[in-house]
Amino acid sequence: MKIFIVPSIISHRLQTISVSAVFLSLQDCTFFTRKEILRLHGRYHELAPHLVPMDYTNDPDCKLPLALIVNMPELKENPFRNRIVESFSEDGMGNLSFNEFVDMFSVLSETASRELKAIYAFKIYDFNVDNYLCKEDLEKTLNRLTKEELTPEEVELVCQKSIEEADLDGDNKLSFADFENMITRAPDFLSTFHIRI
Amino acid sequence: MDSEIQRQGSRNGYHGDQQSLRSRQVSSRVSNQNYPQFNWSSTPAEDDVEGSSEMPRDLRSSPLHMALKRAVRQVQQMQVPVVSSRESWKRNKAKSLRKLKDNTREFLYLFALWSKSLQKIGGNFGGGVQSFFLFLRFLVVLNFVSFLLIAGFVLIPSIVFRSVGTGLVNSTGPEECMEYDPNPQGLVLFYNYFLDLLSGTGFMEYSYMFYGYYNNTMVDDTNFSYNIPLAYLFTAVFYFAFCLIFIIARMGTAARVAVATGGSAVGNYSMIVFTSWDYGCLGDRATKLKQKNIHYRLQVRGDLSYLAGWRTLRKKWWRFLIRVTCFQMNLSPTSFLFLCQVDLEEEMIKKRAASLTTNQKVVLYALRVFMCLVAFGLIIGAFYGIFLATEFSQEKSGKEGILGLIFEYLPSIVITAGNFLVPLMCDQIALIERYAPSTTVIVALLRAVFLRLVSLGVLLFTLWRQITCDGNTESAECKLCEYNYNFYPCWETRVGQEMYKLTLFDLLINIAVLVLVEFPRRMVVDNWSNKLAQWVGRQEFVVSSNVLGLVYGQTVVWTGALFCPLLPLINTVKFIILFYCKRITLFNNCRPALKTFRSTTSTFFFLVVLLFGWSLATVVMVYSLAEIRPSMGCGPFRFFPNMWSIVPRSFSSLSETTEEFLFFIGSQAFSIPLFVLFCVVMCYFIALASVYGKSVALLRAQLKLEGRDKQFLVKQIEKLSRQLQIPQHTAGAGQ
Repeated sequence: MKIFIVPSIISHRLQTISVSAVFLSLQDCTFFTRKEILRLHGRYHELAPHLVPMDYTNDPDCKLPLALIVNMPELKENPFRNRIVESFSEDGMGNLSFNEFVDMFSVLSETASRELKAIYAFKIYDFNVDNYLCKEDLEKTLNRLTKEELTPEEVELVCQKSIEEADLDGDNKLSFADFENMITRAPDFLSTFHIRI
Repeated sequence: MDSEIQRQGSRNGYHGDQQSLRSRQVSSRVSNQNYPQFNWSSTPAEDDVEGSSEMPRDLRSSPLHMALKRAVRQVQQMQVPVVSSRESWKRNKAKSLRKLKDNTREFLYLFALWSKSLQKIGGNFGGGVQSFFLFLRFLVVLNFVSFLLIAGFVLIPSIVFRSVGTGLVNSTGPEECMEYDPNPQGLVLFYNYFLDLLSGTGFMEYSYMFYGYYNNTMVDDTNFSYNIPLAYLFTAVFYFAFCLIFIIARMGTAARVAVATGGSAVGNYSMIVFTSWDYGCLGDRATKLKQKNIHYRLQVRGDLSYLAGWRTLRKKWWRFLIRVTCFQMNLSPTSFLFLCQVDLEEEMIKKRAASLTTNQKVVLYALRVFMCLVAFGLIIGAFYGIFLATEFSQEKSGKEGILGLIFEYLPSIVITAGNFLVPLMCDQIALIERYAPSTTVIVALLRAVFLRLVSLGVLLFTLWRQITCDGNTESAECKLCEYNYNFYPCWETRVGQEMYKLTLFDLLINIAVLVLVEFPRRMVVDNWSNKLAQWVGRQEFVVSSNVLGLVYGQTVVWTGALFCPLLPLINTVKFIILFYCKRITLFNNCRPALKTFRSTTSTFFFLVVLLFGWSLATVVMVYSLAEIRPSMGCGPFRFFPNMWSIVPRSFSSLSETTEEFLFFIGSQAFSIPLFVLFCVVMCYFIALASVYGKSVALLRAQLKLEGRDKQFLVKQIEKLSRQLQIPQHTAGAGQ
């Protein structure tokens, strides 16, 4: 017989945790060690020194806008930088709090599991956020990959072929199950879906 | 992992709790049915079954937003389950173990060498080049740890106990065999020191560097005894075993990734679209090249699928072939193919091969056999050259001055020249042979590996011939001491010196090529806008030949470690210098690869080739330990019939029970059942692996079938709904 005590309201408790407890909770929720989280906090702070407090005792609710985050050297050259930041933000507009910032780099780190990366890769490539990778999503992905150097016919062909190859349930678009089935067979996925910070 | 995460189980419950947690508007994408969701209400029920170590792992891998994850963690931490003391002990143990693992990881991170450099290399040049540098770093660590091993068990005790200690065996042996005087007589010119440093003679010969300096002594105190020859032997054997374990452990991690992804079709469209962009790509230039690369790969696929007339196809194919040949001037076929990953090219060649007439096929096969013989002949020619050079060098040893130095280095020069010229010629031969690209690569690689490793074997064989008078111990020179004591008063030191010279020469050649070939080439290409210069172009970093160079260097060190205990230390320093040299040339002289190199399978392949080198060195070591008589004038094994015989001799000093136990382990009564047990265990694992592979294939087929079932059902529904609508239509129209 086991008895559990479940707290009724949780959200306001988060504000009373001390700094180390904040980082400790982040350590449990991400694939980073405490040192790495401290280093990430330094990076987050230098993006906007006047906005980001150094002291996280009261778990401040500050968010950095998309424009600041995509200027980081690790993300600057990535053609999907906007989608990456948007996928990890809660409001979908790309404004990241420090927790979400850490979460983003945790998923993109070396030690994150394949399943988790597949979930977020699907989110990133889903431009119209409808939980399916339809033709328009693929076309946008392809144009960003090749800097729009392919002719429209070639784009059409590649998208069609890609969907044909990966689509298993025949609805002419890729659901997450199709995407995951295809991506687990790709040997390079883990090594390419990886940002070192 | 799935216990706390259920698919669509209680979506409604999840919704409700979500609203209470976040008062913001939740977008529809969070509540989708496409991926596993976190089951909020199942948390209390499941927690008692899992240990607390499972909780953080599940939380890390769950695809929730951070605020939710932290809230869940809060809840889980605040739950105070009333459990038995045994369970709580287990949980505490698991928690402390996890903390220990995290702390160890943080600690090891401090020692990660060159991580920033590697990141920069990977971002600018791709995974293939980065895997070379990772391999180099692995070898540096391996050599350094081996040096610590040797220093701890052989070097430091030798230094400490040099003056103390009693001889193990009384000196018995002919006077001529025991003559060994390596110290130079008379006046020594200053520049001789420099020559001695380069060739391992003179002041370096009689030092801790080589086998000859170590003593045949044993320290025997009341509580403590240390047998130096025994330590020397066991350290050498353990060094080999340790390297093997290290390499296999690393192969295991590399193989796991390769096996998990399974044999899949290379380069189909969806994979190119979704996995070709390297998120770690840094820098403007690398990004542009990456985009060109993806464009190129898609175009090559696109060309053939277009089928816009055979003429256009053929024109594009010829353009492609010309580009291929041009690249081959800069790249060896090895890197070329790894960079291309085009299976369509294979299809083209297969189509063309299938369309040949019987006559043409016969001609092609005869040509291939002939070319194979030619390549083999070239390699045998190189071996013969090495054999002659070694014999000549050994005859002329002892000559003074620069000429003497050149004679000393003659085998190294011939080996290096052979390793450079023969692969070049084999590449041209491969063009005539016209194999499929993947076969060309494999054949070229096999030839290169064979050349490098067996040329070292030829050198060692020649030395053996000279030391043991062709294996004939009854011949005039070898009769007295069972080895050629006139030329080789201390043959182990001489073998060690050869290995030392090979290592040093390898490093000098690398630096010389860097300074005299690569930098001038870059300056010529950059500053001279000639057509020829542009056609030659900046060089590309050829991963495969560099890796073979590393494997060769490491094999030399392994072979020489028994005779030159400080060689791993020298090799560590050499590889560190090589790392910086290669990095400098990479960033200054090389252009980034236009096409990428698959890095997952390449690491595994590098380690397999390294194992080949290891096995060659093991054969040499075992033969030297068991067969050849150690020198009587020097070294820790003088007066023993062979090096291994010290082991049975020291056993006799052990206690009765230990002796019996060890004899039992070595006897057939123990080893044969052990061997049978190993076979059984291996059969079990092979059977398990094949069963898993079969079930994976079955599940994949099932997945495909379910998709088709769904399609069929959807069509049925459409048909039925149409049938139901038509009668309504007629009924409506009739009225």
